[in-house]
Amino acid sequence: MSGPTRVGVEVGGTFTDLVAFEADGVRITKVPSTPQEPHRGAIAALDESGLALEGTGDLVHGSTVATNAVLERKGARVAFFATEGFRDLLTLQRQSRRSIYDIHYQKPEPVVPRRDTFEVPERIGPEGEVVAALDDAAARQRVARALQGAGYESVAICLLNSYANPAHERRMAALVAERFPGTGITCSSDVTREFREYERASTTALAAYVQPVIDRYLGEFGRALDDRGFEGRFSLMQSNGGRLPASGMAGNAITALYSGPAAGVMGAIRQAGCSGHRDLITFDMGGTSTDVCLVQDGTPVLTSDAEIDGLPIRIPVLDIVTVGAGGGSIVWRDDGGMMRVGPRSAGADPGPACYRRGGAEPTITDAHLVRGSVLADTFLGGRMDVDPALAREAFAALATHFERSVEQVADDAIRVAEHNIVRAIQLVSTERGRDPRDYVLVPFGGAGPLHAARVAEVLGISTIVVPPAAGVLSAFGLVASDFVRYESRTVRIAIDEAGAAERVRAQFAAMRQDADSAFAALGLASGLRYTHTLEMRYVGQAFEVPVALEADEIAGLDTGLLRERFNEAHHRIFEFDDSRTNRPEIVSFRLGIASPPPAVPRLADTDAAPHAADVTIFDGGARLPARRINRSALLEAGEGDGPLLIADETSTAYVPPGWRARMDAHNNVILTH
Amino acid sequence: MALDRVDQAIISQALVAAAKEMGIKLVRSAYSPIVREANDCSAALLDADGNVVSQAELIPMQLGPIGTTFRPCAELHPPETLEPGDFYINNDPYHGGQHVPDVFIFTPIFFRARLVGFSATVAHHLDLGGGAPGLNMAAGDVHQEGLIFPPSRYNVNRDWNGGPLERLVRANVRVPEKTIGDCNAQFAANGVGARRVTELCEKFGADAVTEAMAALLDYSEQRMRAAIAAAPDGVYHGEDQLDGDGVNDEPLVVRARVEIAGDSVSIDYAGTCDQVRTNVNCPFASTIAAGLSCIKSVLTSPDIPFNEGSKRPISITAPMGSMLNPRPPAPVRARMLSAYRAYNAVMKALAEAVPERVMAAGFDSTHATCLSHLGEGGYGIYLEIFGGGYGASALGDGCDAVDSPLSNCSNIPIEAIDMEHRFFRVVEYALVPGSGGGGEQRGGLGIRRVYEVLADDVEYQSYSDRFTIPPEGLFGGEDGGAASVCVLRGNERIALGSKTSFRLAKGDLVVMSTGGGAGYGEAGRRSPERAARDRDDGALAAP
Repeated sequence: MSGPTRVGVEVGGTFTDLVAFEADGVRITKVPSTPQEPHRGAIAALDESGLALEGTGDLVHGSTVATNAVLERKGARVAFFATEGFRDLLTLQRQSRRSIYDIHYQKPEPVVPRRDTFEVPERIGPEGEVVAALDDAAARQRVARALQGAGYESVAICLLNSYANPAHERRMAALVAERFPGTGITCSSDVTREFREYERASTTALAAYVQPVIDRYLGEFGRALDDRGFEGRFSLMQSNGGRLPASGMAGNAITALYSGPAAGVMGAIRQAGCSGHRDLITFDMGGTSTDVCLVQDGTPVLTSDAEIDGLPIRIPVLDIVTVGAGGGSIVWRDDGGMMRVGPRSAGADPGPACYRRGGAEPTITDAHLVRGSVLADTFLGGRMDVDPALAREAFAALATHFERSVEQVADDAIRVAEHNIVRAIQLVSTERGRDPRDYVLVPFGGAGPLHAARVAEVLGISTIVVPPAAGVLSAFGLVASDFVRYESRTVRIAIDEAGAAERVRAQFAAMRQDADSAFAALGLASGLRYTHTLEMRYVGQAFEVPVALEADEIAGLDTGLLRERFNEAHHRIFEFDDSRTNRPEIVSFRLGIASPPPAVPRLADTDAAPHAADVTIFDGGARLPARRINRSALLEAGEGDGPLLIADETSTAYVPPGWRARMDAHNNVILTH
Repeated sequence: MALDRVDQAIISQALVAAAKEMGIKLVRSAYSPIVREANDCSAALLDADGNVVSQAELIPMQLGPIGTTFRPCAELHPPETLEPGDFYINNDPYHGGQHVPDVFIFTPIFFRARLVGFSATVAHHLDLGGGAPGLNMAAGDVHQEGLIFPPSRYNVNRDWNGGPLERLVRANVRVPEKTIGDCNAQFAANGVGARRVTELCEKFGADAVTEAMAALLDYSEQRMRAAIAAAPDGVYHGEDQLDGDGVNDEPLVVRARVEIAGDSVSIDYAGTCDQVRTNVNCPFASTIAAGLSCIKSVLTSPDIPFNEGSKRPISITAPMGSMLNPRPPAPVRARMLSAYRAYNAVMKALAEAVPERVMAAGFDSTHATCLSHLGEGGYGIYLEIFGGGYGASALGDGCDAVDSPLSNCSNIPIEAIDMEHRFFRVVEYALVPGSGGGGEQRGGLGIRRVYEVLADDVEYQSYSDRFTIPPEGLFGGEDGGAASVCVLRGNERIALGSKTSFRLAKGDLVVMSTGGGAGYGEAGRRSPERAARDRDDGALAAP
């Protein structure tokens, strides 16, 4: 590949990964993360890789810094303004409990405490009409009293019904800026234009809470890049699966929450796409958890229903379901005698029992060592020293209790973990009306390829694509991702009212104009693509079903097509439609704009010498003689039958009996049965 | 053949997941705000004999006795006579139901012509006719509380989709598009549950699924028994009281005798007052739910799947003709109130047995507010359920502003109310500073709501409690704050009772406050840091 070097740097919980595409090949670097000062880990990865940043044209970064700021409640000090009478929105939340029999229940802690919440007299009505005007003089006074000398870094403004008319929020923002220039200001109508005040207030408070954190972080990271002579484009990953130039994150920091899992999905889409697969279920299994996402026709499914630490976020993010099943997940027996795996994890410290760091409880990683599906000498490319005897010891008590051999109990634990993953996949497929058998499974992360075949068997999936360098696919995904931005508007239109189709066209056209100018301001204008989604429901319902329209369908749109598409989408999810007695309406519009990166690089294997050995794996109640090979050996042989282990630097794939593995022309290992 | 232990674990988890999915889909496809926003509904899977195997964790009150609601249907129309498309329906408080608005629908699940179980949903319907829109506080008997579906069998194709039952319901309710829409959402959610169970049968075989269902009941029973056995044996007593029945201010006393013996518990409500003429009587199915929920919450870990098996170690009795086991046709709409006192009485008894695991009394009431108006476009009916402050416990402060323990309704977003109704507007929604009883651990805060009435002839109906008798502090903690409602009309302040109706006029302000929870332990022992935080966050009453 030619052109300037392109680099992805992904800061994870345990490791910071770097993937660099240079003229002469791919360079992979892994260094420990530095959770206290995350930018240092990222800089360390750059330094350790030995890359010349002067020649780097494109640097994409994914970081947990926003997520951690929320989880550890280390974000900015925020003043929150609400409509008079409603300052307690963030504490009242939705009144319900998540655990119904827990008498010691506590609500998720808001990021803004009650003492930092304020009110302003005004009221907008549900159609956007002004019920009580915002009195400038009164508002000025409230702003001054709240903020004067109080040292807030950031102000969040969420007024009732502002999704229908943002005028009062805009005016408040102007009043704050006039009196306290330099203070960060976040209006709910700029973050999400959807009804339900608590969810919108929570999103706004979170946005105001992480913005200064991201601003500071990007400042520090940017300076370090300048010091190293970097003159290329620096962009940041978002939770919607696209990236934005760093300059575009001003006012958009909340889109950086959960960007890590999104990067992996984008890497999987790109890599599986090379082999011609566009309908995917991706499955990223790491040390503590597994992230699952469904990809339809090359596009990941989005949701506006996400939350962080129990606090709702109403911006479009990849619909990723996370279960507590990772290599470090603990295997235990509950007081009803049932075997359970996770969600508790041994983490990196003490880690699995085999790590020799004092961990005594058995984990999934230990189970693999006992079973023989992971071998001590190739663990993490041989970089990690593990003790199989400690792994066996950790399972001894469970084996005694269940009256089974240690191998059998380890094998059972892996089956239970695999079914936890199966349920996560069912959540994003069957529960959304999608049949998993129509999809290809793409496992990655350190542990994904070990479990993929058995998970696929349960779900009836017949093809698996294991990408090269599966352990660092997220860093690759950063470089492979498009620039993306979403616009959304709540505009209710009953589809059988006169001129409905015309209004839909006009609305999308206006949003497209806004999106174009936002992108133009960031210097993005080439190869623009758009996605059009209507959030629809039957009149009287409260939750919407997304209906995607192709760009070329918009011109010929009519009531009939809208009705047909909605009934179909409703039926797919709920297994019924109310078309007999009810009529659909549009509630909101979402337009996505995307610009592709320069030519997408391809992942290749490192050129290790072919290697093969005989091993024994305990699987399905029997001891199976198997072969362990590396990817170079598979490439040489072309294909191989299970039972087979295919190990590389960053992960191991398990090919059970009945499955066949082959290396295709795009460096993907394809498993079929 | 004995079921493989791992298969059992896998099928069990899948059954729990399927019930949860039913609940989510019911909420998301429903029409009335009481279901779609407030989530006043539940879902469960039953085995072929009608034992609840798994449930979506939505409303404890609706979930405990689903089997009790099922059985009268099965006695009349034995399950083996059911055909595809058939369903049972029941909301009869005197034949296993709870209160009239909670309509239970059971759909049989067939796998290759074999009955393998039932999927069940219950939703609180916004209006089922009766003497007033949404809520009739004046009802003198159950017949004035709405349309009763006695335990019966119908067929969805023949009787519902445009058929005679659907037309009968449509003709007898005030907001048919919501009632019919919510019923359709129930049928659809039942369909989803049925589909998941048949998928499991395809994968593992019907025998394995049936066996796993039975094993899941045994599993929950075993875990419940282990937890109960860990509590000290003995006979314990507790009592609590309602402010009154809405007509008389005479407190209504509920008494519980709780006996823990080995791995079982028995609760007897002997000594509880006689049934009353207003709607605070509690059908026996609801009394059972209250006792079960308290035992489960206090003695066991929250992750034990709640099903018929977890009920086996617990027996509950209440004298016939008492407020907790009334004779027909006594009205029962506000049965949650007496059910809460049944819950509190058991909690107080358990405070003697396991003081470190109980919580002090909280607001522990359902505060139901119903506003209705007949406008040009038909009836507008608004119904919302409020909780208040939780009682404090040895582990921490009571939760602020949360629905009470036997229920779990969400609030209805102000913006959803604004979209739906033009005859009133919410102008304040806030915490009530100072309403949490002081203590080493303080009680949770209550909720304040102010409604501005925008039309004449708006009907207000409401039931609540703890207006005059506040929740009692535990181990030296202070009592929680009382609840109240008043109407501000010009310069006039009209105090309303806890169980009442009132005709509102344009310009009126209805000001309601729900109660806080009581404290646990002496206030002098509260740490200075936490006291300072209470002060800074305005949790205390203004000085």
